Amino acid sequence: MDAGRYRDLFLTEARDHLVTINQALIALEHAPVSSGRGRESVDELFRAVHTVKGMSGVMGYDAVGALSHAMETLLARVRAGEQELAEEQLSLLFDAADALEASIAAATVAADDHGGSDDARRTAAGTGELGESIANPSALDVSSLVEQLLGRRSAGAVAPSVGDAHGMALPACDGVAIHVALEPGTILPGARAQLVVARAKSLGTVTAVRPAEDALLADGFDGRFALRLVTTEDDATVERVLRAAGFLAEVRIERGVAPHSATESTDSGAHESRGAAPHPRDAAGADAGARFEAAWGNDVLKAPLQRYVRIDLRRLDHLMSLVGELLIVRGRLTQRAAALGDPALDEAVADASRLIGEVQDGVLGGRMVPVWQVFDRFPRVVRDAAHTLGKDVEFVVEGREIELDRALLEQVADPLVHLLRNAVDHGIETPAVRLMAGKRAAGRLLVSAVRERNAVVIRVSDDGRGVDRARVLQRARDEGLVDAERESLEDDEILRVISRAGFSTAERVTELSGRGVGIDAVLAKIRALGGTVELKSREGEGTSFSLRLPVTLAVIPALMARIGDESYALPLTHVTETLQLSRGRVRTVRGREVIVIREDVLPLLRLGDIVGAPRGEDRASHVVILQVAERKAGLVVDQLMGREEIVVKPFDAVRGAATCFNGATIMGDGSAALILEVSSLL
Amino acid sequence: MSHTVLICDDAIFMRTMLSDILQQAGFDVVGEAETGAQAVDKYRNLKPDLVTMDIVMPDMGGIDAVREITRDDPAAKVLMCSAMGQQALVVEAIQAGAKDFVVKPFQPSRVLEAVQRVLG
Repeated sequence: MDAGRYRDLFLTEARDHLVTINQALIALEHAPVSSGRGRESVDELFRAVHTVKGMSGVMGYDAVGALSHAMETLLARVRAGEQELAEEQLSLLFDAADALEASIAAATVAADDHGGSDDARRTAAGTGELGESIANPSALDVSSLVEQLLGRRSAGAVAPSVGDAHGMALPACDGVAIHVALEPGTILPGARAQLVVARAKSLGTVTAVRPAEDALLADGFDGRFALRLVTTEDDATVERVLRAAGFLAEVRIERGVAPHSATESTDSGAHESRGAAPHPRDAAGADAGARFEAAWGNDVLKAPLQRYVRIDLRRLDHLMSLVGELLIVRGRLTQRAAALGDPALDEAVADASRLIGEVQDGVLGGRMVPVWQVFDRFPRVVRDAAHTLGKDVEFVVEGREIELDRALLEQVADPLVHLLRNAVDHGIETPAVRLMAGKRAAGRLLVSAVRERNAVVIRVSDDGRGVDRARVLQRARDEGLVDAERESLEDDEILRVISRAGFSTAERVTELSGRGVGIDAVLAKIRALGGTVELKSREGEGTSFSLRLPVTLAVIPALMARIGDESYALPLTHVTETLQLSRGRVRTVRGREVIVIREDVLPLLRLGDIVGAPRGEDRASHVVILQVAERKAGLVVDQLMGREEIVVKPFDAVRGAATCFNGATIMGDGSAALILEVSSLL
Repeated sequence: MSHTVLICDDAIFMRTMLSDILQQAGFDVVGEAETGAQAVDKYRNLKPDLVTMDIVMPDMGGIDAVREITRDDPAAKVLMCSAMGQQALVVEAIQAGAKDFVVKPFQPSRVLEAVQRVLG
């Protein structure tokens, strides 16, 4: 059956609810249930869990249903004031939220006969390190969690026993005695009984109901009850009206019977449920599928959805690679046309070029997603880290709506999680230490996204202790990375030292940071994506990492240059200017070549040397000034070929291998050009 | 003329599903509401023959919405949509004036039977 649409709808909506659940749980750690904020959070939590339960029931996802039901039961008791929400219950709910996420992923993947939608698979597998914060379904025993959630009933909430002779006895008074039996297996029998009572009330006055309403709502209620009704209607009418309540096996009306005496009034109001009625796990789940099959086929998506169409990501990726091919063809076409010099052809080529450009913009736009799709998981990551390490962290997210190519966003998730954990572990001090230092007990951790022209800058900053500069300097000297006489290090030097593979200033190996994943991994990843990392740190005041990323990975503007017969692409984001190479500008300082531009003296690099081209006749003609963050350098090339939009074909460089390329592109003439990773040169 | 229905549920998923079931059966779904407050408003404007009402919704839950709706129109026919384990809430809704209830997961036949009982 074509349940795919419902499954995707389910998955998307369930994920939103999971974010709500986690956020509400985090809020509840700081605001007691008795506070207004706490109360709100419990309500949010309840609604989210409840909705997930309802949806999973329809989809027949049993584990999800059982878990959300158990969570809901606990929460209902909290709302009713029957259950406190202490650390123990909160941690149980956190575990349950993890298990819920895992079971949702597992259910949606299992339900997919085409091998899993990309979305579902991603959730199931977790995305790398981010995934580690999501519990493995097998690691958490769902049924034991359910037991725990359901098992915590207060002693006072024991269901009264029902069905005994006394419980059924009606008080003696006027009217007819009506004995009712619900069909066996009626769902929510207490509510169904209440419906019968409500219908009876529409016929006259109900003077008594037995068993008492408390017992009607209890777990053990067997569907048999009696009521006393004062009415002017005849028996047949009474029976007809009551039967219309549905699910009645028996309605027996007795007149003139003097029942046993008792005293309770009828309207004792609503009572909190004493727990779960038996789950209708009978054919409901499987049946629902078959029964809904007829309904699926129709134009299901209603007005609110019409402005959006869900697209399989693989289609979008395929479109993108086609656009890439188109751009290459465009390049070739333009070259050939220029050689032929036919005005009509030129015009057609220009039109085609423009249209291809627009298609490219359109497809790229379709790949953009707001960063919150990844950022919204961070509060939980930070919370867990802070919890484990005994830190108090106030976490703030800014710029949730900023958009990034989804492939890129996916790839920066791990580095960001690493930086966040790092900040909680090494940056932010324990509350005691912070108070001693005259800071607030709670550390502040901020992750923000800002759009800056054709880049997006994601910043992770904390107000912790900052990098231990003396320690880093010592290490740098020891390893001969800087001259022994150096007294201090600049921020960018610090970044270079701490990003050496295996470097750690951590005195202890913690559960969070001691995994051998260092800043080097973060840097390698961001650079591979064509981005740069910048560090700013002040001792005692905090550290901030800025990741500057291209908005999209797929197509970048580049300056094409040649060394001999080989072409190389220099990403335009790092090019500030180009100049003719003139002997007068090149000097030698301490045995190194430099170039003087206005007041600046910049180191001079030769692309030919970098790529290992044989030094023959010096054909160097131009200098390209490159800039990464504050650092600048001149790069000498043989020939400049002009600006081009290049389609990046990333290649997987071996980490640690000192490569200065991070991809390749195909040129208009069909030849390949390597893309220079500028940040590795400066 | 087919009966008109207003569907109230905060989950698009549920609204879509209920809407499918009812339209298949020839009902005219004239409106959808995401909150209790919306439901009350839309009921006043649309005067539907039947309302399906989720119990737990943000910004005025289903029970308060039933109370408001039946206060305006005592003959209003409201069908509660409940989940397992919400018996007490269903009872409260019935006391507030709801005419019947169905329990998730919905089976189309159950929903339609309940609708028939309510419209009776």
